[in-house]
Amino acid sequence: MIRLHNVSKVYDNSVVALREVGLEVAKGEFVFLVGPSGSGKSTLLRLMMREERPDTGEVWVAGKHASALPSWKVPHLRRSIGTVFQDFKLLPNKTVYENVSFALEVTGRSRHVVRNQVPQVLKLVGLSNKADRQPRQLSGGEQQRVSIARAFANRPLILLADEPTGNLDPATSVGIMRILDRINRTGTTVVMATHDHAIVDAMRRRVVQLEGGRVIRDQRSGAYEIRVQSNVATEPPDEDSVAPTPDAVVPVEEDVVLAESESTATAGTDPAPEASLEDSTEAAEAADEVVDEAKITESDA
Amino acid sequence: MRIAYVLNEAFNNIRRNGLVVLGAVLAVFVSLFLTFGTLIFGEIARVNTERWQEDVRVIGFLRVDYREVDELRNEIEGWDEVERVIYYTPAEALEEARLLFADDPRQLQIIEDDPSIIPASLRVRPVDLNDYDTIKQRLTNSPGVSEVISADEAVQQIAAIRDGLRVFFWVLASALGVAAIALIANTIHMAIYARREELEIMHLVGASNWFVRTPFLIEGVVEGVFGSALAVATGVFLYNLARNRLADLPEFINLTIDSSFLVQWGLLLVGFGAIVGIVGSGISLAVHKYVRT
Repeated sequence: MIRLHNVSKVYDNSVVALREVGLEVAKGEFVFLVGPSGSGKSTLLRLMMREERPDTGEVWVAGKHASALPSWKVPHLRRSIGTVFQDFKLLPNKTVYENVSFALEVTGRSRHVVRNQVPQVLKLVGLSNKADRQPRQLSGGEQQRVSIARAFANRPLILLADEPTGNLDPATSVGIMRILDRINRTGTTVVMATHDHAIVDAMRRRVVQLEGGRVIRDQRSGAYEIRVQSNVATEPPDEDSVAPTPDAVVPVEEDVVLAESESTATAGTDPAPEASLEDSTEAAEAADEVVDEAKITESDA
Repeated sequence: MRIAYVLNEAFNNIRRNGLVVLGAVLAVFVSLFLTFGTLIFGEIARVNTERWQEDVRVIGFLRVDYREVDELRNEIEGWDEVERVIYYTPAEALEEARLLFADDPRQLQIIEDDPSIIPASLRVRPVDLNDYDTIKQRLTNSPGVSEVISADEAVQQIAAIRDGLRVFFWVLASALGVAAIALIANTIHMAIYARREELEIMHLVGASNWFVRTPFLIEGVVEGVFGSALAVATGVFLYNLARNRLADLPEFINLTIDSSFLVQWGLLLVGFGAIVGIVGSGISLAVHKYVRT
């Protein structure tokens, strides 16, 4: 679904964003991009949505050679990609419904399709009862759910999310992750850049760690950071081999060694993963209830 | 749905930026009104000085029964102060008379009843434009010539004013035309900037380029067409007003011009207004990053 081959990107001010990155994401995968600010996560996403072109290397997205695509063909590529951002990017003078329908209208969908799709995706994100609100009347989490609904309205093959929970509190973030997970389960490939330890640790999905523009770890069902020896007892070391995703690209052991030599992780700074996992579960259930409520009110109506 | 959407966007833009749009429309209006005015004035001057074109200054009308035209013509062409002699056949003379008396049905009727009263003529272009008195004198004494007239002061002045004003108006109209293009470009620039968030999202979700740009092009064209249509309407209105008010002008000045002239040039100017709009918004679209992928 997404393939980067030997991709490097240097910005005009000679900041090296990516060095010889190779990455392959299969259809239906859920991938976390982690790493410190400036490690190249956002650049990677921007290359995938053809917001930028690499200096060297190739980027293939949804079967198209994105890095070589002429700009008049870019709109077509974008229709197979949904994008979600930290700052939501909602239109303040349009209602929730209009924000979502906008994405369908401007890509030329018929009125019939718009009338069908918008309620469906609003239901998916649990905002059916707030369709007539304006973004400023919504909480941060609700606004992000609108932006996810907009990204998913075109039924994209791929959903790219750049720190979607960056502005949200942990409980709200879990609600967002439930929705992204649900979207992933429909077969949509999800790539999400994040700084959120708790989420990555709780979700146990593929983790690609970047540092200084290089991929230093690619782990099938990984945590945000590699635990040092003392933590291994709580995390069975053979978990990776039973992970459900069959197509990790880089051998895991090799990456762990690589990561340990460069990673800043220590046992002392690691937040207790179990505790946060529990918090998350609770909040997630709360979020699910909200969704269920929405379903009920909708079926009533 | 798509076309309706694009049109709707264009008119929303226009409504949101009322004052700026008005400025652009007025710029097109002033520029094309001056152009139209120049054209009308030029046409009136042309009709009135028709027979004095190409620096003809003296006309000798020939007797209807005179036959040795070629001999006479050769003789006159041999004079030192004459540069060229142009022979107007009776048919050409009739054509000219019809044009001259276009606004005088009574005269026209007389001509049509007996076209032979319109004489053929020899039109003389002097070497030096001030030599025409001498030429007039010699022509009067020539055989076959029944009457001699020369371009008088008034005609010469009209011609001079016409040439001067023409240059002045064209320079002014082009300068204002450039200003109109710049103002339309600025209007579109503001419309793009006001909608930059929407445009960013349109690009993100994969709206095609024509879908993003066409509303701005339409906005430019609407402004151009509206301004030029206003200019043409005002021009026609003022021309008709002037023709009615100035009915008692001296007879030798004829304010009537062909209405097909007004229609043709009016349509051309409206088309030109549309082009001004396309160029203006095109410039803006070319430089603006929000409308590029």
